[in-house]
Amino acid sequence: MRILRQALLLLRSELRQELRDFELLLTAGFFTVVLLAMFYLSFASLQARAHLSALPGLMWLTVAFVGVLTLTRVFDREREADTLRALLAAPIDRLAIYLAKSAMALSVLMICCAVLVPGLWLIFPAGQAFAELPGQTALLALLGCAGYVAIGTLFAAGLATGAGKNTLLFIILYPLTTPVLMYALVTTRALLDHDPALPDHLTRMFVLDIILFAAASLLFETVLVGAPARRPERPHRPGRPRGPAEPVHRDMSRETSS
Amino acid sequence: MTSPTPPASGFRPGHVLPDLCLLAAMPLLVHSVYRVFMATPIEQSMGTAFKIFFFHVPMGWLCMLMALIAGIAAAVQLRRRSSAAAAVALAAAELGFVTGLGVLLTGPIWGNATWGKPWTGDARQVSTALLWLVIVAYLLLRHYGPRSSDRLAAALAIFGAVNVPIIYYAVKLWKTLHPSTGVVGTLPPDMWATFWPGFGGLLLVSLGLLGLRIRQLRLADELDAAWVQLEDPQR
Repeated sequence: MRILRQALLLLRSELRQELRDFELLLTAGFFTVVLLAMFYLSFASLQARAHLSALPGLMWLTVAFVGVLTLTRVFDREREADTLRALLAAPIDRLAIYLAKSAMALSVLMICCAVLVPGLWLIFPAGQAFAELPGQTALLALLGCAGYVAIGTLFAAGLATGAGKNTLLFIILYPLTTPVLMYALVTTRALLDHDPALPDHLTRMFVLDIILFAAASLLFETVLVGAPARRPERPHRPGRPRGPAEPVHRDMSRETSS
Repeated sequence: MTSPTPPASGFRPGHVLPDLCLLAAMPLLVHSVYRVFMATPIEQSMGTAFKIFFFHVPMGWLCMLMALIAGIAAAVQLRRRSSAAAAVALAAAELGFVTGLGVLLTGPIWGNATWGKPWTGDARQVSTALLWLVIVAYLLLRHYGPRSSDRLAAALAIFGAVNVPIIYYAVKLWKTLHPSTGVVGTLPPDMWATFWPGFGGLLLVSLGLLGLRIRQLRLADELDAAWVQLEDPQR
């Protein structure tokens, strides 16, 4: 409960910052529209049957591209003001930071999906199922974006603590988020085909999201600040011979100051 | 000024193991190559192209083994801040890169002869290619990442190891043409007798190279530490 309260406080602060200048929403939203325009120019002349096959890919490629932009920007603010270090030093649970940042990125991605999905339906008539099944479409977008954000937030945060090189996020994120995007592709195809197995696909995506959030939550603190240092020497117990102290393995050459 | 502690000298059994693995692999590999090309009958349905199976499958298994070793070592590295585990993870990932590349090069040759086209988007093809991409991302991050990237790379290796079955299942929901995992068990005795020595030889070569690379990385760490101590004796 305490973690959730802290996460909500941090999220409120993020949202307040965003509402001052709408930087994230405007850049991510505009990028979504640009991608839609490029898809229209590239694929509008194809047959309707090809549209049906291409739509899931177009939708999730857009999420992947916009997602990296959003995640990079969410942590760039912290980096520019050097506030991530302060956040990590603050008396709050690190998990709350992860949850707040994930929720922020997810909110931005969902708003972009609110532009993307109707846009795809307008450009490609094969996407009529998006309008026919709005509830399932919204759930699909939420589950797909949540899985993407679960992994993305962890790695974006990890790169934000280093000096520069956050362009590596592109290299890391795309291979790692493939499972989420694969499941999302399969489910989108099921939705467009009015497949009766659609609820099963959505359940699978939900389970995958839970696994990814759990794994990323477990790793978040360790990745950002490292595991607690091991004690160099065990306390001496009377009656037992004192053995040599266990060596402490530290990567001295690459240790961070955080 | 204090001089850095010299590395411990003397005989260590662990230092000889990689060399012993490589030595033991030599006769096995020679025997295996002889059996593949001279003593094993040609498979009826796939013809001569089937011989690539004796290299393709062991390399696929070794790639997955190295990804698993890298994932476990990365978890130990994160949990215990162990530079030794970081060296194991990096060495295993490098070998995973090489064996994965071998699988991705030999697979399409075999697929072209068997299915008529080199790439079918099959579940195992896609999952192997993506595992290889994760390994490449890990190596790029270890070599070009910022100062704290060792921990981040470790998380990447763990996610990479976890991802493989998920990707495999996801692609399998679409389609699969690939032979099932039980194909090795159904081989006739002649082919079976050829497969295992070859796999054993390649496994020993991989373990030998893994040991040598770990030793090299540990020595590089010790050199770095000695250099730091020499430059700044107060540390």
